[in-house]
Amino acid sequence: MTTNTYIHGIGMTKFGTHVDRTLKELLLDASRQALEDAGRPKVDAVFVGNFLAGSMSNQEILGAIVANDLGLGFVPTAKVEGACASGGIALRQAVLAVMSGEHDTVLVAGVEKMKHAKTAEVTQAINAAMDTDSSEKSAGLTFPGFFGVLANRYFHETGASKKHLAMVALKNRENAMNNSLAQFTKETSLDEIMNARMITDPLGLFDCSPMTDGAAALVISRKPSGIHIKASSLVSGPTQMQDAADLLSIPAIGESGRHAYEKAGLGPEDIDVVEIHDCFSMTEMIAIEELGFFPRLEGWKAVEKGLTKASGEKPVNTSGGLLSRGHPIGATGLAQIYQLVRQLRGDAANQVEGARIALAQNLGGTGSYSAVHILERV
Amino acid sequence: MKKLKVYFCCGHETVVKRVYCPTCGTDGISEREVEDKGRIYSFTKIHVPPSEFAHLAPYYVALVQLDGTNAKVTARMTEDIAIGDKVELFNVEDGAYVYKKA
Repeated sequence: MTTNTYIHGIGMTKFGTHVDRTLKELLLDASRQALEDAGRPKVDAVFVGNFLAGSMSNQEILGAIVANDLGLGFVPTAKVEGACASGGIALRQAVLAVMSGEHDTVLVAGVEKMKHAKTAEVTQAINAAMDTDSSEKSAGLTFPGFFGVLANRYFHETGASKKHLAMVALKNRENAMNNSLAQFTKETSLDEIMNARMITDPLGLFDCSPMTDGAAALVISRKPSGIHIKASSLVSGPTQMQDAADLLSIPAIGESGRHAYEKAGLGPEDIDVVEIHDCFSMTEMIAIEELGFFPRLEGWKAVEKGLTKASGEKPVNTSGGLLSRGHPIGATGLAQIYQLVRQLRGDAANQVEGARIALAQNLGGTGSYSAVHILERV
Repeated sequence: MKKLKVYFCCGHETVVKRVYCPTCGTDGISEREVEDKGRIYSFTKIHVPPSEFAHLAPYYVALVQLDGTNAKVTARMTEDIAIGDKVELFNVEDGAYVYKKA
């Protein structure tokens, strides 16, 4: 079933390094932008997507802070955690709250502040999104490491190579160069990407999403607007690599996609523009297969032909994606929606001519969560 | 010869223990011991570790396809490895399966 829930306002800070701005300032900035964009409606509830504020900024109660500092009154609020899918899950909770009839208008915000910490500390904190009571965590597997293991097997079973991953990273950088809110807008080349410092073989620096400060927010309502949330889906999946039935499949992505297509009465062929969770270049390759845009184990061929470029037949990550727009974890799922709303309004960076149907896929953990939202211009 | 435990129900065999089988929903998951030997299914060499493993870097994390079962196990290794290499369990250190080339 469709949601009969509509997007009225969007807001987003620049993604990157905000040494002079606190977590709260970023969160309130994006929220205020979304409320102004929506025409300052009365807000009945707030959901905040966040992953690391407790461990890295010693800050919780984000929902209450938003309600209090924006002067929203005694409204219900909650923080939603689902690792890197926190933003997408927060949006889904807001949609369900409207669908239930409990609330008319809900503010959804996502935020993360990571750049003040050292890489090893952030890598450690992010590992909380693995099953830490497992031999796999004890072995020293990391998030990037999981996708490195996946990439080496993908190379082994297909004709793909590191060059195809570099093509994904280059495409997303080229898109980010036109996005003034993106973290990385400097020109690069296949050569520079291929020869960059190794993080976890075969993934180099450009194959991995960065640490980012930033926030994004949306206002949704049962009152109609020009952007309808046609479907909202969420599934959980395997939490350990050694438990995967097929290493080259991330079933949470495929299942969440199938649920969303079914609810929307649409298929992958109907989607005009896509934001997917490219936490690593390899993840984008798997996701374009899982979401049915290209056959299994053939995503690399689509990338080679340029089909996922902004000018291609299935434009993926016109914002620059996590790789170059940036990945402030709790904000990412909402930044995807921000870009897609701009696409449907017709004023996006890397505008896709006449875009009417858009899909966002937000991943948490190594496939532990996947949220999909399908938007329609009405 | 060291042994590893695997859990089996409805055609899926795994080293991860579950309460109920996700396919049939029962708690009739059976377990058996398998040999610790296998082949490298895939791997990565981790150059940027989390702080608690910083002293080990760079190190390999491998997914080992165990012999005589569909189950795979995640292992840490220090030697240079390639897909298909024969490996066996060397030690269990702080909950981690440490493998060596066979």
